[in-house]
Amino acid sequence: MSKNAAQWSAPPKFPASHYVDSRIYTDQQIFDEEKEKLFRPAWIIACHESELQAPYDYRLFTHPAGVPLIIVRGDDRKVRAFYNICPHRGNTILYDPAGNAKRMTCIFHQWAFDTRGSCVEITRGEQGYQDRFCKEDASMREVRCEVAFGGFVWVNVTDDAPALREFIGGAMDILEPYMEQPMEVFHFHKALVRTNFKLWHDTNSEFYHDFLHYFNRITGMMQPGYYERRYTPFANGHASVGSMQIQYDKYDGSKERAVGWPGMARGGWYMVDLFPGMTYNLRTSVMRIDTSVPISPNEVLIEFRGLGLKADSAEERAQRVFDHNMIWGPFGRNLHEDLLGVTGQGRALRQGTDSRYLLHGREENNTIHDEVGMRHYYAEWSRRMGRAAYDPYREGKAEPVRAAA
Amino acid sequence: MIKGEQRQAIEDLVYRSCLALDARDYKTFLSLCDAEFRYTVTTHSPEIRRDMVWLDHDRKGMETLFANLPKHNSDHSPITRHATVYTVDAAGDAAEVVSAIQVFRTQLDGGATELFAVGRLHDTVKLADGAARLARRIVRLETRQLGYGYHVPF
Ligand code: FES
Ligand SMILES: [Fe+2]
Repeated sequence: MSKNAAQWSAPPKFPASHYVDSRIYTDQQIFDEEKEKLFRPAWIIACHESELQAPYDYRLFTHPAGVPLIIVRGDDRKVRAFYNICPHRGNTILYDPAGNAKRMTCIFHQWAFDTRGSCVEITRGEQGYQDRFCKEDASMREVRCEVAFGGFVWVNVTDDAPALREFIGGAMDILEPYMEQPMEVFHFHKALVRTNFKLWHDTNSEFYHDFLHYFNRITGMMQPGYYERRYTPFANGHASVGSMQIQYDKYDGSKERAVGWPGMARGGWYMVDLFPGMTYNLRTSVMRIDTSVPISPNEVLIEFRGLGLKADSAEERAQRVFDHNMIWGPFGRNLHEDLLGVTGQGRALRQGTDSRYLLHGREENNTIHDEVGMRHYYAEWSRRMGRAAYDPYREGKAEPVRAAA
Repeated sequence: MIKGEQRQAIEDLVYRSCLALDARDYKTFLSLCDAEFRYTVTTHSPEIRRDMVWLDHDRKGMETLFANLPKHNSDHSPITRHATVYTVDAAGDAAEVVSAIQVFRTQLDGGATELFAVGRLHDTVKLADGAARLARRIVRLETRQLGYGYHVPF
């Protein structure tokens, strides 16, 4: 039997922690608040150290809160991060997404800065400013920056936010043993997707949608151990997912991922979802990192990276690239399915469609089809936003009675 | 030096390969390809300052890919490949062919067309007994932002 309008609008028969109001994915005001309350105080992955190999190498990154950043390796090899905003009249200092710049010179009036953020040149400074303003007054704005957890460059634009280690807590423990050898980025692409950034993170936080992926159904879901994979929630909204032995050879054209990963059992697969929108995904032979940059309530720019080991031989690297592309490249079987899936959500949930609730109600002892990953995320979301994800406008919806177990 | 009719046969091959893929007629596409055919999609990332390979298959791999695709959930909106053969250079009993390619995607609902990708085709064409066969295709993409992507190779 179908539902009428009243039934469609009635809250689901779950505890309120087990569903969310769909307006959290569409409302402009909530979106603006998310940038301030979730992204601005968070530690965010800007790039990987292998993208900045030599002194003076730089990389640009637009922080999800909106700030344009320069990540640059100094003459002392230390990696630092600065606003890519000229302190003179606000021009963009560096234009190319990556390069090598001993001096960072603004094209507009040629003020120049070194890799430690000091202004080293104000053109015709004395003539114009006499002794009223000098280079020391024209430093770049530096933001906190750390290389950690597999050589990734983390930035935080809030000076007094808790330290990176505190923010991550134990969430990366499951991956740390596999990140002792230096890694190297071999793949990068961005995808602009018409959906809310949280829907992408939700997809990375639940495996029930393995039904979407033919590849995962036959190499994972139908194999022993699949239903024993478990979610572990951590403080600050992070969660990890334990491994099983993926049977890659069950998919025609794929074969056992012989190149493997140091220390990891055959066919292993670990994931860590980091609040508010990053994912580490170590799938046997390849590390994938997703970083979400929200653009609008219904648009997210996702940066995808694929990494192998710095010590790879040419053959090993080629194998990792092949494994990556099979499911995760822009033509890969799984990535297209995942992105298509969240685009469909974006279409059905956009403002005015009368979508109401999304269910996060599956309970299976924190195993793979349990929706605890999303519930955990939205508990943290609600805490930081000061709004309940199930009642974001404080309309005082009564918590419905839980259906008999 | 490539003779006029050889150039004609080569251009014909490039265009027919696009028409076959546009129609998702993989059988016809593969019939245009040599037994040693290899297909690669490459691009360069100015962000990580590296050349990247996004797809790489020999003939067997392409056959398997085509056979697998119906089992997957894919975007069903059709794409059309617009190629223009720029240069044809003789290389023994083969020719190196460079073409420009633009790929357009047309939405099923409403039929809006968007430019999906631009790039170049670097083809090696084998010439034997007056017939031209595709031995190697490297699609060098300029476009790297492909939204939710696509399952069928360009
Ligand atoms: S705005 Fe940069 S030097 Fe003037
Ligand atoms: Fe997925």
